[in-house]
Amino acid sequence: MKRIGILLFIFLPFIAVSQLLEGAIYGNEKNEKQPLPGVNIYWQGTNRGVASVDDGSFKIKKRSSDHILMISFVGYQTQELHIHDLNFLEIMLEPNLELGEVKVVHKNRGTYLSAIDPIQTERINGAELHKAACCNLAESFETNPSVDVSYSDAVTGAKQIRLLGLEGTYSLLQIENMPNLRGLATNFGLTYVPGPWMESIQVSKGAASVLNGYESIAGQINAEYKKPDAEEKLFLNTFVGASGRLEFNGNGNIRVYKDKLTTGIFVHASDQSRRNDENGNGFLDEPLSRQVQVFNRWKYNNHKGYMAQAGFSVLTEDRLGGQASFRKGMQPLISNPYGISIENDRMEGFFKTGYVWPNQRTALAWLSNFSRHETSSFYGLNRYDASETRFYGSAVLTRDLDLAGRHMLNTGFSFIYDKFDENLYQQKMNRKEQVPGIFAEYTLKPGPDFTFLAGIRTDFHNLFGTFVTPRMHLRYNMGEHVTIRASAGKGYRTANIISENNYLLANARPLQWSHDVFQEKAWNYGFALVQYYTLWGRELQLNTEYFRTDFQTQLVVDRETSTSNIILAPLDGQSYSNSLQFDLRYEPIERLDVLLAYRLNDVKQTIGGELLEKPLTSRYKGLITFNYTTNLKKWMFDYTIQFNGGGRIPRYPVEGLERISISGDNFEFSPYTVMNAQITKYFRYWNIYLGAENFTDFKQKNPVAGTDDPFGPDFDATNVWGPIMGRRIYLGLRFNLNYQ
Amino acid sequence: MILMLGGLTSEISAQKKGRAVVCFQSDMDCTNCEETLYEHLRFEKGVKDLKVDHASNTIRIEFVEKRNDEKSLAKAIGDKGFKADKITSEKYKELLGQVKEHGHEHDHEIHRERN
Repeated sequence: MKRIGILLFIFLPFIAVSQLLEGAIYGNEKNEKQPLPGVNIYWQGTNRGVASVDDGSFKIKKRSSDHILMISFVGYQTQELHIHDLNFLEIMLEPNLELGEVKVVHKNRGTYLSAIDPIQTERINGAELHKAACCNLAESFETNPSVDVSYSDAVTGAKQIRLLGLEGTYSLLQIENMPNLRGLATNFGLTYVPGPWMESIQVSKGAASVLNGYESIAGQINAEYKKPDAEEKLFLNTFVGASGRLEFNGNGNIRVYKDKLTTGIFVHASDQSRRNDENGNGFLDEPLSRQVQVFNRWKYNNHKGYMAQAGFSVLTEDRLGGQASFRKGMQPLISNPYGISIENDRMEGFFKTGYVWPNQRTALAWLSNFSRHETSSFYGLNRYDASETRFYGSAVLTRDLDLAGRHMLNTGFSFIYDKFDENLYQQKMNRKEQVPGIFAEYTLKPGPDFTFLAGIRTDFHNLFGTFVTPRMHLRYNMGEHVTIRASAGKGYRTANIISENNYLLANARPLQWSHDVFQEKAWNYGFALVQYYTLWGRELQLNTEYFRTDFQTQLVVDRETSTSNIILAPLDGQSYSNSLQFDLRYEPIERLDVLLAYRLNDVKQTIGGELLEKPLTSRYKGLITFNYTTNLKKWMFDYTIQFNGGGRIPRYPVEGLERISISGDNFEFSPYTVMNAQITKYFRYWNIYLGAENFTDFKQKNPVAGTDDPFGPDFDATNVWGPIMGRRIYLGLRFNLNYQ
Repeated sequence: MILMLGGLTSEISAQKKGRAVVCFQSDMDCTNCEETLYEHLRFEKGVKDLKVDHASNTIRIEFVEKRNDEKSLAKAIGDKGFKADKITSEKYKELLGQVKEHGHEHDHEIHRERN
């Protein structure tokens, strides 16, 4: 009755003078303001409400009778606000210290560019992760215009990513906002993150916030795993590839004590035990492999400002590649076939906690993780064994300096411990990095249209001394349709000379290096222009961005000046990358999302005294993706075309040239096109997907040189620029059960 | 809001043969409930089109007459713990219209998110 009474009251035909109230809603995610879409905003006692959009903003009509604005969102405390005037509202939802669970709306765009975030960031969510087979993090970027994924070599199956045309090591990889997948995990780390475990991925380009460390030269990639207090109760996934790949993933959430204490259990197992040699060169196109991984995480949230999370995972993986006749247990001897064996054992743990003061102006967070990684491997006759122990800890204090939140300060300290023991060519290398650091970051946000962020950190490195990292970001909304961003910053990283380049051991020439450990330094500058327009009732998004990276010191891999060695040496001269990207997103007909993207890479490096194009890097990349869903999203169709530009192949000169004959393209590879497609059918509790990767069956010819004599001087499996495997058809099933 | 707009336009367009439309008034309170119901109802037998809106607390279902009926659909809503009071199409339009009127200027923005 009461409800009807209210309705009658509202429907009374009185002439109300209404004004427009605008604002934006954020979630306090690890002390960063993250725009929250889908939040309910309504006037108390009425049914007049709106929902916030992608960038967290909303507009609601205010009548003279409206006083109390209600803001509610699942997982966050409902706020009631007394509204006296029409000033722009900026609302921070608490108490969750991080983005708990933002439910995916009916059909959402898989990837979007935030209009609010001061750092140019692409957010990839669950919907996007359904668009491809997406077996692991490396494969999640097939439909992404910014990240390139390629094989490092033709025998180990290692995949590397490139951002701004630069190797993945120049991007800071994070899991749950903590640095991860580095050191010994550099080469295979992307396959250690199972796709179905992930909730979302954020890719940001250029300098990142100093809160995350001094790394991130080209950008930052963060993967978030599914949260134990999410709606999902049970998720199962199986995947079969026609080339013999089998995979199983599962995760389940248990609410141990109401919604306060929750736990999530994750399992992953994958297996490739069929030998594939499509090109008939006697070498396996991909190594035989097996991986098992288990992860358990816990979350405690008292919903009064305190939260803690912890988790632990164990992984074991082995790979066996090389000549198809090589068998497990064979010794690395010249009398045996050429073989590659890599065994990895890894365990990881993390702990993070945070508290938000009741006045909601101050928050304290602690983030830490550790890992222990052991590798035992051989590439032909080259043995490489290593172990690494790593710890990372960081404490951040966030404080709003004024009530309106126009000035905010983040300060804190961090500590990195990294111990390596490596053994290559019977040569032992041990080292220990210990890096305490302090940082501060100031955010100025005078209004919704402008954000300025300046950060600085100082780190005290036991090997490289004290160094300072300045970073700066700026975002400005020029009117309704245009957002510009600019960033500049310095980045540093420790080049782990062998562990990051061990795939180069699949080569006849021994590695030669002058430093066991080396610090790389670079400046990055970026500018981005994002435009939003409404075209025939639907939003058109245009993005233009340019990033420049200038290396001051760098580790250069020189495969072309010596016939007897691959030389890993410090840069002597210039090294830079220019990356210019355009992309367009639009929905030309209902439920069909189209992305067109084009990027130019100009990456040059001084190699052997000469400024040369960075080898094995495409000069451009074009991408077109189509995603269509039927009404009520019972079917989904995806189609992706990647246009990869040509590039340079590094070859050692003089007599080597005559001996190697690789059909035609000796110093240059030609542009090539790769297409992927997938169909998904959804049912209430499960869905089934069928797809084909590289369905035009394009392959790099002769990815392995010198196959007739793999222990001879011409053997080289590291000049890889294109796909090694042809068409791959796969079929997968997903099952999920939610709470409620 | 686009859900509502869409609802209105498909209301105008002629229904396909063998299809029936039923509208309900419910008691959802948040977008979360809206989603739960949407996810549940879209896989009910014979459902061909569906609008669930928490702002006006309305549900409109277009379904194949031979494969389902109003009673079962009302039960499906009830199973998820929500009210399902059948209303006429006119009442449905009226309820939507009220909310639409108040939220008119947001239409394209909501569309961005919910298309």
